Amino acid sequence: MKVGVLVREAVRSATASRVPTTLVAVLVAAMCLTTVLTVGRAAAAQQQVQHRLEEAGSRLLEVADVRGHGFLTSSVIDQAGGLSTVERAVGLAVPRDVTNAAVAGGHPVPAWGVIGDLTDAVELVSGRWPGPGEGLVAAGAQDRLGLDVPVGAVVTPHGADGWAVVGSYRARAPFTQLNAGLVVVTGSDTPAHTLEVVTTDAAMADLTQAAVVSLLARSDPADLSIVSPTTLADLQGAVVGDLARYNRTLLLAVMAAGAVLVGVVAAADVLVRRRDLGRRRALGAPRWAITVLVVVRATCGGVLGALVASALGLVLTSRVGQAPPLEFVAGTAILGVMAAAVSSVLPAIVAARQDPVRVLRTP
Amino acid sequence: MTSDPAAGLAVRDLTFAYPRSTEELFGGLTHTFTPGAVTAVTGPSGRGKSTLLYVLGLMLRPRRGAVLFGGVRVDDRSDAHRSAVRARQLGFVFQDAVLDPTRTVLDSVIEPALYSGARATDVRVRAHTLLDELGVGTRAEHRPGEISGGQAQRVAIARALLVDPPVILADEPTGNLDHDNAATVLDALRRAADSGRTVVIATHDPFVLGRADEVLAL
Repeated sequence: MKVGVLVREAVRSATASRVPTTLVAVLVAAMCLTTVLTVGRAAAAQQQVQHRLEEAGSRLLEVADVRGHGFLTSSVIDQAGGLSTVERAVGLAVPRDVTNAAVAGGHPVPAWGVIGDLTDAVELVSGRWPGPGEGLVAAGAQDRLGLDVPVGAVVTPHGADGWAVVGSYRARAPFTQLNAGLVVVTGSDTPAHTLEVVTTDAAMADLTQAAVVSLLARSDPADLSIVSPTTLADLQGAVVGDLARYNRTLLLAVMAAGAVLVGVVAAADVLVRRRDLGRRRALGAPRWAITVLVVVRATCGGVLGALVASALGLVLTSRVGQAPPLEFVAGTAILGVMAAAVSSVLPAIVAARQDPVRVLRTP
Repeated sequence: MTSDPAAGLAVRDLTFAYPRSTEELFGGLTHTFTPGAVTAVTGPSGRGKSTLLYVLGLMLRPRRGAVLFGGVRVDDRSDAHRSAVRARQLGFVFQDAVLDPTRTVLDSVIEPALYSGARATDVRVRAHTLLDELGVGTRAEHRPGEISGGQAQRVAIARALLVDPPVILADEPTGNLDHDNAATVLDALRRAADSGRTVVIATHDPFVLGRADEVLAL
């Protein structure tokens, strides 16, 4: 007896027996739809939370030279930037107020001296990258300085220092505070006040902090002030872990409940169709063929239900903007079909072991 | 119509008892069923007429003794082997046809091909021929619920003959039929025997007994 022929026969039988097939389809659809609407939405929320927690701001380690010892040199900043767990590192001087050199008593805006690679902190919007003694202006600050175009000069209030403006920029995350003013290139011997380190992963914060502190080699810990995302990384791990655990539990509960119900339907189908199965045995179907027949018949209903539920679930969750990933929906559908198949195995084995004579004999 | 002459059906020292029953049936029956003849198995109720057919059909296992096909014992083989024998060498006709109510008459007739390994496309032509021979060709696309009891029984005979088995087992095939339909069914079984098959009918109907070639009284 060929398995392919048997499977085709099972599909035809499932199509002919609409009531049990529809019942299994409805149960599997309910199972998959419930999963997509609950676990799927939770998975989407988990993805959003994880995405937010992985943004650059959550990976920022700030080290400040609180006593002004000048140990945050360009060399230290370069070394920090070279660490394998670091995406980028820049040094920032204490911001100073500057005004438009061409307008006496103009509106002041902050200017940050950047030590290290300027491209790590900002993106050039217009003009050119500045050299020593030059700077870039943010779009918002340009208006407040009274610059028609991002070209000109700024000076400190008493004219002690000044920089030429050679272009405009947009700050890169997480350095969005730089959008309030200017960035200027300081001399290579000017130390930074803060070292801003963006790690590759929030989970690497602990390791990076230890490496940076060791790089600075300060004997007095009070020289440093550190703002670390370590707590945030822990929180991320906990939140994502909790959500994943919740999702797993819910998924298992829904699938288990659905599988039990499908098993009940398959068992009822076997009971109702004892005569059909007995006839097949009498005509030469071996036990394994009866088992395959019952399982494939339930699986057909499962496939139908899973397809309908997946499409419906995607439409419904898309409408509320919480569509789960396609892989999740596909996985749920496969799990639903597998649950239908597995839960029908026991009734199928019972069906295969039924005595055909008992149901075929007419008293 | 051809049949395998070596596929003779016989029982040797046969005794059967249902589980949890102390009553033994057949009392060590030894009998060889004649190919080309209609053998009627008869006896009072409870003596095991239908049971003998199911033992011959390898759906029940004897307590003692053996069932032989072509001189080879088959009742002690695996379920897969016994099923294969049922699919290829035996044709069953039940008292009330037992057709699939969800499928057409034609589907019911070609069902044994599924289990015997015959190609459905090959047997489809033969199924139509058999249905025509038995006078129910016009009902091929009907459901069993749309045909009479006599027609259903003729469809069951067509199903039993589909894979050209050497042995036909019929359990009270005329039990639910009127005289005319019973005669038609018996004619069909007679033709099956005339073409060399072994036909065994369990019955207590005098009309059937009168038309049998051999009678095995239990």
